[in-house]
Amino acid sequence: MAPRTVNVINVSARRRILTFWERIYLPEIVRGLWLTARHFWVNLWRHALRAVGIKTSLPGAATFQYPEVRRPQAPRLRTLHRLVQRPDGSPRCVACMMCETVCPAFCIKIVAAEVVDPNIEKRPHSFDIDLGRCVFCGYCVEACPEDAIRMDTGIVEIGSMSRGGMILDMPTLLSLKSADEQAGKPVDFLQRRFVS
Amino acid sequence: MSFVIGAALGTTVFIIMFVLSLAGLLTWVERKQSAIMQDRIGANRAPILGLRLWGLFHIIADAVKMFTKEDFVPETPHRFLHAIAPVLAIFFALLSFAVIPFGNQITIAGHSIGLQVVDLNAGLLFIFAMMSVAVYGVVLAGWSSNNNYSLLGGIRASAQMISYEITIGLTLVGLLLVYQTLSLAQIVKAQGGLLWGFLPAWGIFFQPLGFLLFLTAGIAETKRIPFDLPEGESEIIGFFVEYSSMKFGMFMFADFIETVLIAALVTTFFFGGWQVPYLADSGFVFPWGSSWHLGMWMVEGMRVGAFILKVLSFCWLLMLIRWTLPRFRFDQLMHLGWKILLPLSLANTLATAAIVLWLGK
Amino acid sequence: MPKITIDDRPIEVASGTTIIQAADTLGLFIPHYCYHPGLPVAGSCRMCLVEVEKAPKLQIACYTFVTDVMVVRTTTPQVATARAAILEFLLANHPLDCPVCDQAGECKLQEFYMQFGRYDSTLLEDKTKKHKQLPVGPHIMLDSERCILCSRCTRFVDDITHTHELGIFNRGVHSELLPVDGAAVDNAYSGCLADVCPVGALTDRDFRFKVRVWYLDKTDSVCHGCARGCNIEIHTNRRRNHHNDGKLIARYKPRFNAQVNGYWMCDAGRYSYKQIESPDRFLQPRVRGADGRVQVCDWSTALAAVDESVTRAIAAHGVSSAAVIATPDLSNEELWAVRRLCRDGMKIPTVACRCPADPRGVEDNLLRKADTFPNSFGAQRILEATTESELTVASVLQAAASGRIRLLFVLGGGLTERVDPAHLQQALAQVDLVVAIQSHHSILTDLATMALPASTYAETEGTITNFTGQVQRYWPAIPPLEESKPLLDILAQLANRWELPFTPREPELCFAELAGQVEYFAGLSYRVLGWEGVNPSQRTTSKSTA
Repeated sequence: MAPRTVNVINVSARRRILTFWERIYLPEIVRGLWLTARHFWVNLWRHALRAVGIKTSLPGAATFQYPEVRRPQAPRLRTLHRLVQRPDGSPRCVACMMCETVCPAFCIKIVAAEVVDPNIEKRPHSFDIDLGRCVFCGYCVEACPEDAIRMDTGIVEIGSMSRGGMILDMPTLLSLKSADEQAGKPVDFLQRRFVS
Repeated sequence: MSFVIGAALGTTVFIIMFVLSLAGLLTWVERKQSAIMQDRIGANRAPILGLRLWGLFHIIADAVKMFTKEDFVPETPHRFLHAIAPVLAIFFALLSFAVIPFGNQITIAGHSIGLQVVDLNAGLLFIFAMMSVAVYGVVLAGWSSNNNYSLLGGIRASAQMISYEITIGLTLVGLLLVYQTLSLAQIVKAQGGLLWGFLPAWGIFFQPLGFLLFLTAGIAETKRIPFDLPEGESEIIGFFVEYSSMKFGMFMFADFIETVLIAALVTTFFFGGWQVPYLADSGFVFPWGSSWHLGMWMVEGMRVGAFILKVLSFCWLLMLIRWTLPRFRFDQLMHLGWKILLPLSLANTLATAAIVLWLGK
Repeated sequence: MPKITIDDRPIEVASGTTIIQAADTLGLFIPHYCYHPGLPVAGSCRMCLVEVEKAPKLQIACYTFVTDVMVVRTTTPQVATARAAILEFLLANHPLDCPVCDQAGECKLQEFYMQFGRYDSTLLEDKTKKHKQLPVGPHIMLDSERCILCSRCTRFVDDITHTHELGIFNRGVHSELLPVDGAAVDNAYSGCLADVCPVGALTDRDFRFKVRVWYLDKTDSVCHGCARGCNIEIHTNRRRNHHNDGKLIARYKPRFNAQVNGYWMCDAGRYSYKQIESPDRFLQPRVRGADGRVQVCDWSTALAAVDESVTRAIAAHGVSSAAVIATPDLSNEELWAVRRLCRDGMKIPTVACRCPADPRGVEDNLLRKADTFPNSFGAQRILEATTESELTVASVLQAAASGRIRLLFVLGGGLTERVDPAHLQQALAQVDLVVAIQSHHSILTDLATMALPASTYAETEGTITNFTGQVQRYWPAIPPLEESKPLLDILAQLANRWELPFTPREPELCFAELAGQVEYFAGLSYRVLGWEGVNPSQRTTSKSTA
């Protein structure tokens, strides 16, 4: 017999043969009901104890009560974009169009302008991000050669009542601060978080 | 005569209030129970003046929402049937409660009143009939929506009902053989004795297999997971896809009423109905000989309370099953109905008949 | 003829060929900066080093001539190491400001570094500061820091334009490209400096920061600036409409054609793209009502008005009182369509194409021609082939001024620049009905009774014949702007209304008909013309000699 070169996955062979008790199904149902019922009573017990002020080792639910309680954000979580400022408040962006080019959602629109300064030369005249299109992939941050765009504001609520309201312009993007800065944490001269 | 009418009205109002408020409560219980089972918190908003009460006001919020939503009616030549279908679904489910006894009887001013809307001597058949015609609401809804998905959902519903009603009918035959009566009041009274001197003579001990079969087929009758193929809201799309506003709400409500109905029937047939163990009309009579005399109101109150408690327990169990099991595939549904439940219920009927014959000798 | 081997592939080339040229004929690419096929060889960048068997060290491919039985290898480890080292040197003082550099995307330094470079530089020294953002002429921006001193630009101004404006000053790392004696780089071909510069040292001021080059689409075309017909690429920005000031055409670039323009084009032609989307474009049909007021209208109204009034004028005064001016601004196909409709169909005897000379025309011995019409050669072959007398536009205007012409068609632009406006106005005032089909606003569209907007060459397809007789194709780069339509379509609709025989409105089929009817174009078709065009006059002479 010629050697097989193709890996054939025999699906029926991978399927486990059920035992008699599994095949009659009822004991398995009871097992499943037992599991969910146990969760129900244990959680109910915890809720009840906490309701009367007795602390239990675990809470009755693993959920966050979102608007009141906020989930802690990981430092690298991609949140609303911002444009980083130079010390004089102008955008660090030089309108190289890398982010606009890499953006898979076509949500960034930059119009370039010239600066009479040989060390800068180019700057954005306008810089719009259409959050209605943005997919928060973070490619713009990856692509930026000037570290001018970041997604570290910690802002995740970006709803608007109109499509136009979803488009952020350059002054808005420049005015945003990083989550660390908002929290009053120290940042280095590049406006980065201090890494210990 | 007027007293009889008054009594009938009273019991009717009581049972309707009980069933409807319990079904309404179940909409909240379903959310809360499933959440707690899944380590969540569940609906806890809809505050009134800052009072949340664990989200209990969601029932009111839902009702307000259902009534204020646009009642969209599709382009259909059967507008009347489309409108009447959810009414039928609720009507037949409610009608079944007429023959369910929720207590023994009370005596007011010399008139004894049975705690039951009507004690039909063919109650068992009435229940069976009502469960059978309940499918009309679903089928008509599917057909009159003028929508392929609705129609398929309705067809699935009728196939499922037919398959599982046979099992229900055959398990009821087993009960008939055991209790030798069709009256539900008589059936419950017959469960008041003791087996071997200490065990309550509940139906579950005579018909354990019948109980399992009836419970399974009963869940199928409620059209809820794991038997929710007629509905399948998110994937396979069911008979009420063209319903909105309170018409849709009535279908949802019918589901919960049927859940209460199945819980009440299981209680009545297999768990002694309003019977409290060792509680006779005069008070507790314990197997070890001692007794505790209680008044009529006390006894009947305990009995009605016992019935409600049992119904609530079964509602809880049905919710637990609904939030634990995954949905059957349609071929599995048919396989279970025709190849497993039907032979088992036939065997159960034959075995019961044989035993009854043998004991009768 | 020496027989050599490059990368194990044998080839026989003429003696005097360099290795880089021989490799090019084999389709092998040897990276280079200072070598440019249109310029003298300098051999300064050392990027094209290759291994030649029996030579003691690596040789530059651009200035090593082939000898018999030479064996060349271009992919050995030594070559790769040498290229990486050269690139490291070239980047030693390069500012790496690609984000703000317009050359990014078409920069040879970027391309070769991605392909051949060493990715970890070993240089620790600070980079030298030089002049940046220095405008050295009306069209050229200099950034000395980005310069790799390949000297292509100095060779261009020395050997092509002979204007000598640029030089390399100072020594060592301080060597710097600067204008000689502060002169302005303002020769007529200065735009080519941005083309020859392989990096971002010389960039086009006009194109500066308009749009990134990777957003551009390229369409081959032919410059319509003068009778030379330089081959060009039209670079269009179709994908990001907020760039390039919202316009479609971003720039023209010369396209190599050995028979016409070589590698170059003049600045006048290079920046003539601005006329295509200029505010001067005439884009809405206009009809002068009975009360003398001009009204903008839609096409069906305009065509109906032309139809009715032309029919009425010819019925009243006869075709002998009608005349047609078709300037050589039009393509061969359009001129043929004019001939088919006006002369063959409507039987108008007076169809003139010979205009007075353009006072702005400049001629030099490189590319520019005094005749600023792109298709004078073709127009004479197509329109005058059947006329005995030499009919000039001037004579038509004179006849108009004397009141002998009641109906005048003016097709194609360029007339107002060549004819004294007062004279034109005086002549047109005497004509009852002037139908102008124009692409740009002018005194003509203002004076015309009916004016229809025509598309330009950037929006249509066709061929033109340059002053040597080279028939060359151009392709549509952008869709017709607003309401404008290709002239072939306009004439076809008129012919359809008058139920006159007409040529196919598809340029390719129209050209096929033209090739069958006009002797000069015999045997030509779009397939035969290809990308570079064909010169039938040279073909007939070569045939007769053979």
